[in-house]
Formats: sequence, structure tokens, C-alpha cells
Amino acid sequence: MTTDLSGLSLSENLRSEILLIAGRHRRRRIVRSRVFLGLSAVCFALALIPLFALSWIIIQKGFPVLKLSFFTQMPLQPNLMAPNQVGGVSGAIIGSLALVGYASIFAVPIGVLVGIYVAENENKFAALIRLVSQAMAGAPSILMGLFAFSLVCQRLHFGYSAAAGAFALGVLMLPVVVVATEIAVRNVPSTLREAGLALGAQAHKVSLRIVIPTAAPGILTGAVLAMSRAIGEAAPVLFTIGGSSFITWKLNDQVNALPIAIFNDSRSQWPSQRQEVFGIALVLLIFVFAANLISKVFLSRQQNKTS
Amino acid sequence: MEEKVLSKAQLEMKSSGVKVAMQLQDVAVSFNGRTAVRDATFNVAANRVTSMIGPSGSGKTTLLRALNRLHDLTPGAKVTGKILLEGVDIYGPDLSVTELRTRVGMVFQRPNPFPTMTIYENAVSGLRFNGVKKKSLLDEAAEESLRAAALWESVESRLNVAASNLSGGEQQRLCIARALALKPEVLLMDEPTSALDPIATLRIEELMSTLKQQVTIIIVTHNMQQASRISDDCAFLLMGEDRAGELIEFNTTEKIFNSPIDSRTLDYTLGRFG
Repeated sequence: MTTDLSGLSLSENLRSEILLIAGRHRRRRIVRSRVFLGLSAVCFALALIPLFALSWIIIQKGFPVLKLSFFTQMPLQPNLMAPNQVGGVSGAIIGSLALVGYASIFAVPIGVLVGIYVAENENKFAALIRLVSQAMAGAPSILMGLFAFSLVCQRLHFGYSAAAGAFALGVLMLPVVVVATEIAVRNVPSTLREAGLALGAQAHKVSLRIVIPTAAPGILTGAVLAMSRAIGEAAPVLFTIGGSSFITWKLNDQVNALPIAIFNDSRSQWPSQRQEVFGIALVLLIFVFAANLISKVFLSRQQNKTS
Repeated sequence: MEEKVLSKAQLEMKSSGVKVAMQLQDVAVSFNGRTAVRDATFNVAANRVTSMIGPSGSGKTTLLRALNRLHDLTPGAKVTGKILLEGVDIYGPDLSVTELRTRVGMVFQRPNPFPTMTIYENAVSGLRFNGVKKKSLLDEAAEESLRAAALWESVESRLNVAASNLSGGEQQRLCIARALALKPEVLLMDEPTSALDPIATLRIEELMSTLKQQVTIIIVTHNMQQASRISDDCAFLLMGEDRAGELIEFNTTEKIFNSPIDSRTLDYTLGRFG
């Protein structure tokens, strides 16, 4: 009996010591957890500052600039008699939309088809295209401009033109569309593919009628994101589109673009023109934001479908 | 030992005048030279439910997928031995893979209706893939197959809504309807109720017992109670010492569960392992 009791008291001591250590450990863990939570909250705030500051400054300074004439008129040169006459950027808006439109006409279909090929084939050629696309998607955009300048402007004798700018933007968009399409197609569950094959469908019918329709929202998302990236790029159009004092969207005309308008106006000696820069920036921001919003809608549709 | 078991079962099948839908002769499947399942020799009787049971890794699903040549897609997969559908080698030149798959339908582990298609479009998708375009024919086939899958009453008024709006059990029955629309001779079911709740499971099991009047059913299940409830014949597979699955015993379900010849079958059906 006595030995039993002493044994019990010994384990009682052991228990309280374990509890003591575990308690200390738990308190230390809670402190550490709070420190890290605090750190990540601070970093979160730091990351948000530039994001909101950027949006805020552009909206605050750009919004007053957005008058009807801003969208309907061509730029005017301020002078000493009329230091505030800046006109509008209708030419740049039309030019940018036209450039991205033309670029999409060739980059989206080709990019989608290449992306499907790469996703559906497991050979060395497909692997090579995948590698090149991924590398090109990260290539500096000025290279696209240089390429378009030497090929379209010079070799094909288009000179500065919408065609050259659209070509440069298209080359920029192409790998983005290829990579996005490949991912969208690969995300289609293999069980759907098998279901089609198990119904006696040939492989190409499975691709056309099951895989691609299921991947379509993801493919569209990729196309829209590529367009939103292209509209904001200055480098590819910098030395390919020339610039124009008319509203035009013809392929072999010189055209304007929003990023170039920002660049030119920002170097003006007239405060009114420098002020206008923020209006143009706001228009660009709205385009990009809208494109992202649209792509989110598409993407949530695909997720609904495949989950 | 195995030889005897099989020949006896087959003898009984013959003597009872049962028509054979599919024959498996020494079937083995390997991936990149590694055998996944082997020694599968048995006859699948027409208009009966044949179940394949066994623990994980015993090659049930692998064997099932050999029966409609789904392994064709997997690089490095190789199927040896003979699989006959009504006496014709399914890997031979007399039967194209697409024809085989219209005659041997399949229902998968998880309901996988085509998400971009409506209920109606799903039901007739197999017919459309195979070139049937006539509207009246498609309408008739849709109704008939949805009725056969016990789904018609609940979807009749909403044939044109997306299949993803159905519950899991309804989706699985839609997948059964989709397979039945092609009027297959054999229906392969790969653990068709493993993603469903007990009530949906019960409905599928009830469905199978009526369906076998028009189609031969081969079902893979890890649920022994399910196998004993619904199947007429039963193949028991087990993973061998080299980690390859093999057929241990094939017999009527009644014999497999009540008087198996191999002691391992008895151990498994009594729940001693697996």
C-alpha cells in the first residue's frame, strides 16, 4: 500500500513538472505567434500603401481632367494667350483600342490554337514551343518594339504605322495567350476526357466538344489579361506607331496611343499638359481594371464548371 | 488449384445455359514493364451483375479499364492475354476502339457529366459523338435512357438546364443514362457509388438490378456488402507478393461469400484483412 502511494505521488510530481514545461512552451508559442502575426500585418499594410497611393493620386489628380472634351478632342498646344488649352486625347484612345484590337485579331486565335496544341500533345516539339512561349512571356517588351520596327517598319516598308504597333503588341500578347490557354486546357479534369472517350468519341471530338468548351472561360481570361497588358505597354509602340494629329485607326496610318500620350505630355513645359497626364493615366487604369474584372467573371465561371 | 476453381465455375455457367458476354483469358496489365494485375481468367455472364472485389492495389480498376481499352491513352501501358466481346478479340483488328466503347459503356467513380452541356445534351452526347443528328431519334433516346436510369421523372421539366445543377446521385444516374443511350451490351461501373451518400447509393443499387435485364454489368467495388447485395458472380482479386494484383477466385457471389475455395477469399469476406 505505502509503496503504491509513494509511486502515485512520484507520478504526481512528474505530472506537475510536465504541465509546467508545457505551459511555458505554450506561452512562448503564443508570444511567437503574435509577433509573426504583427509582422505580417505590418508587411500587409506596407504592400497596400503604394497600391492605394497610386490609385488615389491618379484618381484625385486625373478625375478633374476628365471632361467631355477630353474624350472628343484632339490635343491642342497651349500658348501664352491660352495656357490651359490642352484639348483631348480622343486620338490616343481610339489609337490604343485599334492597336490592341488588331493585335488581338492575330495574337488571340494563333495563341489559343498553339496553346491547345501544346496542352494536348506530349512530344518534343510541343515541349519546345512551351519553353519558347514561357521565355517570351517574360521577355522585355522593348524587344517586341525593336523586332516590329525592323521587320514591319523597315523590311516590309510600312514605316511608322498602326500595323507595326499592332504587330509589336501582338507578339507581346502571343506567349501570354499561349501559356494561359495551355493552363486552362490542362485544368480540365481528365475524368471528362475519359468520359468522352468511353462514349466512343474520337480524340479530336473530345478536344473540340468537351475539353475546349470546358476550358473556354479560362482561355478568354488569358486573352483579356493579355489585352489589358498590351494596352498599357509603351515600349513596343514607342518607335513603331509614329503619332498623328488626326483621329485614325487605319492600318497603314500613323496613330497615337495612351501610354505614348502620357510620356509626351509629362515632358511638357505647360503645367496644364502635365496635369492632363493624370487623366490619361486614369483612363488607362479604368481599362485595365475593367479587363481584370471581366476576366475574374470568366474565371469564376470555369471554376463553377469544373468543381 | 485456381485452374480447378475456374473451370468448375465455367462448367456451371455452361451447364446452366448462361450466355457469355465477355471472356477474359489470362489477362494482365502492366505499366512500363511493371505488372499491375495478372492471371485474370473468367467469363462474364450476360444479363448478370459481375462484381470485382479485393483490397486497394489488387488491380480491380486496372482490370476493368482494360475491358474498354481505356489504357490505350496511358503511355507505357500494355495489356496481354485475350479479352473477347461476344467471341471477338477487343484488341484485335475486327473491332475498332470506338465501336468497342459504344458497345461497352462505362460509369466512373465520381459523377462526371460534361459541365458545358445541359441534362439533355449529356444524355445524348454519346450518340452525337457517333454521328447521330436526327432530332427525333435523339429525343427518343434521351427519354428512354433517362427513364432507364430512373431520372426521367425528376428532370423531365428541366432538360435544358446545366447538368451541374443536379445532385451528386442524380449526376451519377445521368452518367448511367449517358452510357445507356448508346445501347451498350456491357456496362462497366468503377466504384460508382463511392462518392455518393447512402440513399443515393441505394437508388443506384436498385437501378442495377433492373438494368441487368437489358445490359450486362461489371462493377468494381471495395464494399463487400454491396458486392454481396447486388452481384450474381464475383471475382476476388488480391495483391501478390510482387505487389501485382491477381485473380484469386471467381465464382457465383453466393459461393464466394458462403463457401469459397481459397482460404484468402474467406479471410477477406469475413473482414480479417483489407
